Amino acid sequence: MKKFIALLLVAVMTLTMFTACGSTDDGGEAATDATVFKMGFDAEYPPYSYMADDGTYTGFDIEMAQAVCKELGWEIELIPIDWDAKDAELNSGAIDCIWSGFTINGREDDYAWSVPYVDNSQVILTKGDSGIATPADLAGKKVGVQIGTSALELLQEGGKCADLAATFGELLTFNSYNTAFVELEAGSVDAVAIDIGVAKYQVNSRDEGAYVILDEAIATEQYGVGFRVADTDLRDQIQNAMLKLVVDGTYAELAEKYELTDFICLQAGTTENAVDAIEEEPAAE
Amino acid sequence: MKILEINNCKKQFGDLEVLKDISLSVEQGQVISIIGPSGSGKSTLLRCATLLETMDGGDLIYLGQYAAKDDGNGTAVYASDQELKQIRMNFGLVFQNFNLFPHYSVLKNIMEAPVLVQKRDKAEVKAEAMELLRKMGLEDKADAYPYQLSGGQQQRVSIARALAMKPNILFFDEPTSALDPELTGEILKVIRDLAAEKMTMVIVTHEMAFARDVSDHIIFMDGGVIVEQGDPQQIINDPKEERTKAFLSRF
Amino acid sequence: MTFATMLEQMSTGMLRTVGIFVLTLIFSMPLGMLVAFARMSKNRIIKNIARIYISVLRGTPLMLQLLVVYFAPFYIWGANIGGYRFAAVIIGFALNYAAYFAEIYRGGIESIPKGQYEAAAVLGYTKSQTFMRIVLPQVAKNIMPAVTNEVITLVKDTSLAFTLAYQEVFTIGKQIAAAQTSFMPFVIAGVFYYIANAVVAFVMEIFEKKMNYYR
Repeated sequence: MKKFIALLLVAVMTLTMFTACGSTDDGGEAATDATVFKMGFDAEYPPYSYMADDGTYTGFDIEMAQAVCKELGWEIELIPIDWDAKDAELNSGAIDCIWSGFTINGREDDYAWSVPYVDNSQVILTKGDSGIATPADLAGKKVGVQIGTSALELLQEGGKCADLAATFGELLTFNSYNTAFVELEAGSVDAVAIDIGVAKYQVNSRDEGAYVILDEAIATEQYGVGFRVADTDLRDQIQNAMLKLVVDGTYAELAEKYELTDFICLQAGTTENAVDAIEEEPAAE
Repeated sequence: MKILEINNCKKQFGDLEVLKDISLSVEQGQVISIIGPSGSGKSTLLRCATLLETMDGGDLIYLGQYAAKDDGNGTAVYASDQELKQIRMNFGLVFQNFNLFPHYSVLKNIMEAPVLVQKRDKAEVKAEAMELLRKMGLEDKADAYPYQLSGGQQQRVSIARALAMKPNILFFDEPTSALDPELTGEILKVIRDLAAEKMTMVIVTHEMAFARDVSDHIIFMDGGVIVEQGDPQQIINDPKEERTKAFLSRF
Repeated sequence: MTFATMLEQMSTGMLRTVGIFVLTLIFSMPLGMLVAFARMSKNRIIKNIARIYISVLRGTPLMLQLLVVYFAPFYIWGANIGGYRFAAVIIGFALNYAAYFAEIYRGGIESIPKGQYEAAAVLGYTKSQTFMRIVLPQVAKNIMPAVTNEVITLVKDTSLAFTLAYQEVFTIGKQIAAAQTSFMPFVIAGVFYYIANAVVAFVMEIFEKKMNYYR
């Protein structure tokens, strides 16, 4: 019994020590402070959210979120997350939203969504010399896709593009797109199914003509900011600030900076429509 | 003066009665040998006497101090840990397998207990330890480790380790059984020398000639009882009991 | 991005990796000793608790354990887990490695012959003196190869902290690899793990040699 009590005591002490060093390590900011906005994102998702050369996080979504918080006078806390754990991170309150090229389609009821701010197509990326010109040419080929992305949802059984996927030789899943690109480069996959924004970033950052994007997209979809279903107030605050940034041109500027001009779907003139659309949304929920 | 007294010692392992009502007393300076076939209980008796096993019933008394006292219903009631710790200082035990501490040098094997347990002066203990090693003919092995020694040398170190505690009585549990035959002689000589110095000893052994020559008294045990005991010459050369005769005829 | 910048970016991650490594050892090695004692306890309840603990922590993926440690306070008590990420990583690793160390210690302790305890008892050593002076030094020597194995595995396992998005060298490496469309960060991470393990192997060899003065 003595040993058991000693065991318990040490366990408690150990835990206390952990908590102590944990809080000092993270700077001990008052995480409950309402003016701190905890933005959760995938740090491996350029150009939306990724690590810049100076080691800070940047990207279209990050800069938008920073601008939104500036607009609201809030402090932003950037929290990179593991994409597979995104729902647990969000529900547990470790983050306040998922803002990282997050596809609305198919998840409409799972989150409180902002207005869609990017219209994103799912495309096929291959090597320039692959001889693949249309999705139909993928018959018998190996196609790579990242786990947990919309491309996979479209292609897997029951998805909208399952019929197309059925013609593939093999559908390979990867933990990160970067791994898929390495495989593509190495020739062990023939094509990668991917969001067009990411695809363009890849094409432009590599040798010209090394990779091509097929003209025919396999699907189109929209990105939004996802909040906990109950957090509609927070969603509204963030969204109103987003819409202000649309009006003052910040949104378009950032889109240009990240070469996303073709995909943005909020325009100053149509903002009112967007706001109307949001105000109707609670009824739809 | 009685160094050790055991009265009506009983010990059972499960259903097996290993010691049935054994009584024994050892006077100062006396050398007693215990002989008998394996399984006769002689090692268990030694382990009870050295507190490595607890007796089920009976008394265990060192120099008048009770380590265990029979409560009258055949149950041995042991003294407090504090008292037992004190009582332990009365005896030393030399094991069949030496049980030296392999990570300690010969000198540290001998010195640590007197310094650590008896809180004696380190320099004084060291001088005594060196003297003991000289007696054992091992003065040049002080810094060696047990693995570097022969079995006979290791057993001599373990005797020195026991003697360094200055026990009133020294127990030997088949001290030569783990040794090659040509090495038993050096151990028996050491024990003989100790007997000549009037060291009180209880020796469990299979060396009949040695037991006869060195002992004042021999006990023959079989089946958990003392079958016969008495003068060494008489027991070894002219046993009275059939079981003793049968046992000795094998040697 | 130049190679030097990449290295600089990843060096903060390397420090964090070393942090996970060191703290995990500091907490798991003593905790493992407690679990080993509990596992060898004569009390059936304590013994079985330890047995279940070891069985669960060795029998489920470390990645899953990290998720449980991090998210359980919220799902069970609704606790705010902001700022708990690093602590969760260390707790998860320490609990997991304690289970492995416990079994190594137990094997080591049980390999010490009974005669060593008996010799110490007759000489009047207390139980704790016997353990600290006679048993433990011999156990330390016996278990050295197994501990070295475990420690080397730990160096590589630290990369599992990515599950909780803790920014150790592998997580940062993946992020840089994604941003720079380059394989180089993985090479850097690989070299880093290799060097770290070479250091570990070197240090453990010194320990082993130090204990080799007897057999």
